[in-house]
Amino acid sequence: MNIRFEQVMPFPLSSIKHGEESIWGNKVRFDSGEKVIINARSGKGKSTFTMTTLGLRHDYSGNVFYNDNDIRNMSYEDWTDIRQTKISAVFQDLQLFPKLTVRENLNLKNNLSPIYNEEELRSLLNELGIADKWDQECGILSMGQQQRVAIIRALAQPFEWILLDEPFSHLDEENTQKCLEMIHQRCDEQKAGFILTTLGDDHGTDYDREQKL
Amino acid sequence: MLKKLFFKNQDKKQLIIAMIGAFMGITFLVTSIHYLIKVNEFGEGADILGPNTIIVQKKVSNSSSLNLTKTDFSESEIQKMKNEPFIEDVQPVISNNFDVSFETADPMVPRFRTDVFIQTIDPEFLDVKSDKWHWKEGDEFVPIVLPRDFLVMLNTFMSAQGIPQVSDDLAKDVKFKFTLKNDTDKEWADARIIGFTNEVASILVPESFMKYGNDKYSTEKEKKITQIMIAGKESEFGRVEEMLNERGLESKNSQMVVGRLKSMVGTLFLVVLGISVIAVFVSGLVLIQYMQLLISRNAYEVRTLLRIGYPPKMLINYFFMYFVKIFGIIAASGIAVFFVFKFFLDEMFESGGLYIDTTLSYQSIVSLIFAYFIFSFASLRNARKGIFKDY
Repeated sequence: MNIRFEQVMPFPLSSIKHGEESIWGNKVRFDSGEKVIINARSGKGKSTFTMTTLGLRHDYSGNVFYNDNDIRNMSYEDWTDIRQTKISAVFQDLQLFPKLTVRENLNLKNNLSPIYNEEELRSLLNELGIADKWDQECGILSMGQQQRVAIIRALAQPFEWILLDEPFSHLDEENTQKCLEMIHQRCDEQKAGFILTTLGDDHGTDYDREQKL
Repeated sequence: MLKKLFFKNQDKKQLIIAMIGAFMGITFLVTSIHYLIKVNEFGEGADILGPNTIIVQKKVSNSSSLNLTKTDFSESEIQKMKNEPFIEDVQPVISNNFDVSFETADPMVPRFRTDVFIQTIDPEFLDVKSDKWHWKEGDEFVPIVLPRDFLVMLNTFMSAQGIPQVSDDLAKDVKFKFTLKNDTDKEWADARIIGFTNEVASILVPESFMKYGNDKYSTEKEKKITQIMIAGKESEFGRVEEMLNERGLESKNSQMVVGRLKSMVGTLFLVVLGISVIAVFVSGLVLIQYMQLLISRNAYEVRTLLRIGYPPKMLINYFFMYFVKIFGIIAASGIAVFFVFKFFLDEMFESGGLYIDTTLSYQSIVSLIFAYFIFSFASLRNARKGIFKDY
């Protein structure tokens, strides 16, 4: 699935001048399977990009297309299908359920379109060093631990794209690399692409191109 | 997991209060509808006259005995009564204007003959099928409604003769005949009983038979209307009675007592029904409000579930089914308590001499189902509104 932005301008960002290479106000295309990094300073609209792409924000002019379908014309059913099988996301504010345990948070997502069994989920947590948090409420984990849970949750579904909105902001380099390795592996398995927004650091990972905001 | 997500740490006080309110409302709603219907049905079928029907005449006073006041009804008097909002219908009771005698004509029973007084009333007032209540010249027999006192008298006579008495059903098989005559002519007509009445003292015959007799054998001018039939509306008997007093009319006491009793008990249950409807409505609103509160308290959870791919319909169904189950529990408890109430109330009515029908009235169950559907519909609508607000 290709994603196209055509003259998209979020209203809160319309007063800012954007360059010709920016997503905002220009034509930008993300081809299926591409691995893209969006490098930008704070306030340039990284989270706005994630939310707009996922159909969670509508305060913009221009058009966003999935293949040739304008996302403004998509139904509730279409969005449910997209979010279950086409596009996964790690939100900047993580969007975990603090009162639920790590196990419950992961199962809540994984049960929708099962990818992993509980053993595999535990094994992924183990790879990221938080297997012991399995039965702990997410609300009492550190931000770094919560980020790792959110990344595993995003991987626990089939997808063609994964949107990663500053997913490593609270992680040390070692854990960041482990997470990136896991993300690459899942993308390669499914021939999926990712769009990773960062604050200027590419974390030394492989990617196809960098997109300006 | 969704249950834990949505309902953990929720204050259930409001829910419990609403559930208690709805439970009480539903219990009284079903109970009041059931007894309202049963009390209104009380007396139906016991007499061939309709349950809200009375026969009235003007009170006979000293002045009327001296012909100073009238005891008959004029057309305008009847029309005025018909116009009253609590009156269903008023019709004159027409009497015979010729000599008529009534006798047994069956070899199974001894001969019994007496001069009688026959009357006819509008078929609308009779609880008989219209195909039975008609007569035309040449018909095999005249259908009649016999005063039950007449049967008692007949049985007393038969008992004195050493002949077994007859029941209502057996009496319907006995052949009778009328003798219609005037000074010059005489004629016989076979008759068959099709029903009994406690409320009329004369033998009732179809209007066509009365007209035939009056036309052929009457020697006088048209007879005055001294009795009328009044059918009052359900639970409005108090007002009918008031009108009778105002107009100096009287009726058989038993009819008045039953009418008064039905009217009072009916009004009482109507009041309970009104309160129950309000209680069900208010508690339903509180339950719906609790649902809205629950969804708004879970706004973050709902929004996040939608963002990670949960179908809105699934979440709508989750909240909808939760409240439908709650109302199901309320309705089931209400019905269970209604049966307990019914058991005691039926006994109370019976010991008080009010032998009302104890079978379950379908209307009370229909009302419960109706309330259930209204609540379910409102729940679904609110759940949809609450979930899509966060989409």
